[in-house]
Amino acid sequence: MSAEHSHRAGHGRYLFGFARNLDAASVRDAPSLGETALEVVTSGDLQAVVCDVDLAEFGEDALTENLENLEWLEHVARTHNEVVLRVGAAATVAPARLVTICANDASVRTRIDEQRLPLTEALDRVQGRSELSVKIYLRQQPGVASSGQDSDVTSAQATPAGSGAAYLRRKQEQARLRRDAGNRGTQVADTIDRALASRAVASRRLTPQDPQLTGRSEPMIANLAYLVPTEVLDGFSSLVEQLQVEHSPVVLLEAAGPWPPYSFATLD
Amino acid sequence: MTLFSAPDEPTHATLANPANASLVDLLDRLLGAGVVLAGDIVISLAGVDLVQIRLHALITSIRADVARYAPPTSPGRP
Repeated sequence: MSAEHSHRAGHGRYLFGFARNLDAASVRDAPSLGETALEVVTSGDLQAVVCDVDLAEFGEDALTENLENLEWLEHVARTHNEVVLRVGAAATVAPARLVTICANDASVRTRIDEQRLPLTEALDRVQGRSELSVKIYLRQQPGVASSGQDSDVTSAQATPAGSGAAYLRRKQEQARLRRDAGNRGTQVADTIDRALASRAVASRRLTPQDPQLTGRSEPMIANLAYLVPTEVLDGFSSLVEQLQVEHSPVVLLEAAGPWPPYSFATLD
Repeated sequence: MTLFSAPDEPTHATLANPANASLVDLLDRLLGAGVVLAGDIVISLAGVDLVQIRLHALITSIRADVARYAPPTSPGRP
């Protein structure tokens, strides 16, 4: 545990998250940002996990610029996540949002004291539980052209009298097939969500991700997070496999975890 | 089951390891969730601005990856 850390000119404390009953020795070898190792600031039964950062990199002006730098952003995000994973392996953890920076340890301690009740509630909510993510993608259905493919159906064809109506009928039929496929996908996603939620203590819907970001051609139709007790993780995972097999013609599932409980250890 | 594993090791056959998560999944959680407290360093970012930074940074990286990995003999590819 660090001695009282007085304010060093040009330095601040990067806040990774909060914990309860964390043994500081368990994070001694964890990754960190900047030059120095992780430290633990304690107030009562709660801890904050922090590290020293240079305000030339993490101060207000520097952050505004650095957050637009993808390599910098990725390095900070991955390090933050690894620290939170490591803390979560040793204790109950409530991850802090990216780039929360306090002036010094006294300020960190004040944050713990001011938020003691909601922090305690958040930690109670997630103790012994992990977050699992499940993404649902809609598979391309045979015979259903995606909306971008309709337009080249007739451009190469001659247009004798009567074919205009036939063309319109084909377009309408394709639009109907796409709508039906979309509705079926939504119904399947809801069925899957209900089945998984029944094994979880809480669930959240995150925003589905654009195909430019997922690297998949199939559209993401649901982006789900579940808070699952550790002792039922295996059963939950088996259920995901089972649901994939059952609904394979319509959807593709991607599951990941256990995550630290980002979506559930929130201050309400 | 342990909550921490080496980066390349899956924790279960079905579950991808979050240490290998995509940047968009990390930022959904690190910017869109978590404990939100005002620090002492005040940056004029909130809500929509964070989303814009996130998407701008990610779409830039997608474009860079496409340019890097597109095979040289396919002139029609974006």
